[in-house]
Amino acid sequence: MMPMPLSLLLALAMAVAGCLPPQARPMLPINRRLEQNGSGREPALAGRWLALISGRDGREQVQLLDLEQGLLRPLPGLNRADAQPLSVSVDARGERLALVRQLGGRTELLLYRRSQGLLLQLPVEPAGVPRRVQLRADGRQLAVEVSRNGLWQVDLLNLP
Amino acid sequence: MQDWLGIPAIPLRLGGLVLLALLLGACSGLGLGSRRAAPSAGLAASNRQEPALSGDGRLLASLIEQDGRLRMMLQEQNSGRLLPLRHWRGHTPHGSPALSWNGRYLAGLVQQGSQRQVVVDDRLSGRLWRLPLAGGGDPQRLSLAPDGQRLAVEVLRNGKRQVQVFALDGLLEPDLPGGSSLLGGP
Repeated sequence: MMPMPLSLLLALAMAVAGCLPPQARPMLPINRRLEQNGSGREPALAGRWLALISGRDGREQVQLLDLEQGLLRPLPGLNRADAQPLSVSVDARGERLALVRQLGGRTELLLYRRSQGLLLQLPVEPAGVPRRVQLRADGRQLAVEVSRNGLWQVDLLNLP
Repeated sequence: MQDWLGIPAIPLRLGGLVLLALLLGACSGLGLGSRRAAPSAGLAASNRQEPALSGDGRLLASLIEQDGRLRMMLQEQNSGRLLPLRHWRGHTPHGSPALSWNGRYLAGLVQQGSQRQVVVDDRLSGRLWRLPLAGGGDPQRLSLAPDGQRLAVEVLRNGKRQVQVFALDGLLEPDLPGGSSLLGGP
């Protein structure tokens, strides 16, 4: 039996590859970095930024990863040891982060400005309990999932 | 305090007063712009979850509970008009909606048999991308970068939740700010 020519093997391999479903390519250095940080959940991408809730030994905190440089950016004044973050979102400049967290038996909706390390609590009106938040990529609007009168609702909040 | 909530740098005493006014305004809900409920799209009161805005703010995706199952819903934010999602019929419950800048791409989770699967609906070309994740695991939540070039997925694997990031360049064309505005619907 004649050995199959190399060119034929290559053509066969390319044809098989062409039939495979499209694959999202894992960003391996980033994923290794994330794995080193412990568990992770609630990812939010915008621009070069990935915000997420990361935990180790049962303690969770909000983290902001610069995907271009593979570095975690400091978030002074945002995380507290006695608070439990539930949801986080970031704008495309990596400047504003929106956050839902539990603190002292209350659930809070917060907006954080990274360049100044300022954290501001946002009112939920009419009264309700926020659960998930998404910040529009330009940072100008929030969409919030709120529990109100036994129903999950969506609030939209314009930001200056 | 420069530029925080649009306030320029000003002398300290006046700045303190303005800051105090701002904080009081925030407490009364007046200092942070307007709040409103998402447009109802004529649907009866029902549970509505996991809102996701397009980068340009024109579109709002969310999950609405119908017949006990969560279904993907896409609508124009201003008019409340519902937009058709032909690829999303069935395969419920849906989960974790995410929109690109101009709303060209709508990503989310669908149920495929006993497993959840990541899909990206290209509303411009009409193509639905099913994205198997290298390394396996059960996807729980996802986030699509506004330009459509990256995807982050929270995966449950061996009882542990982990976030993984995937590159989509070469698979999806970028959906950039100021791009096509022809995506309101058919």
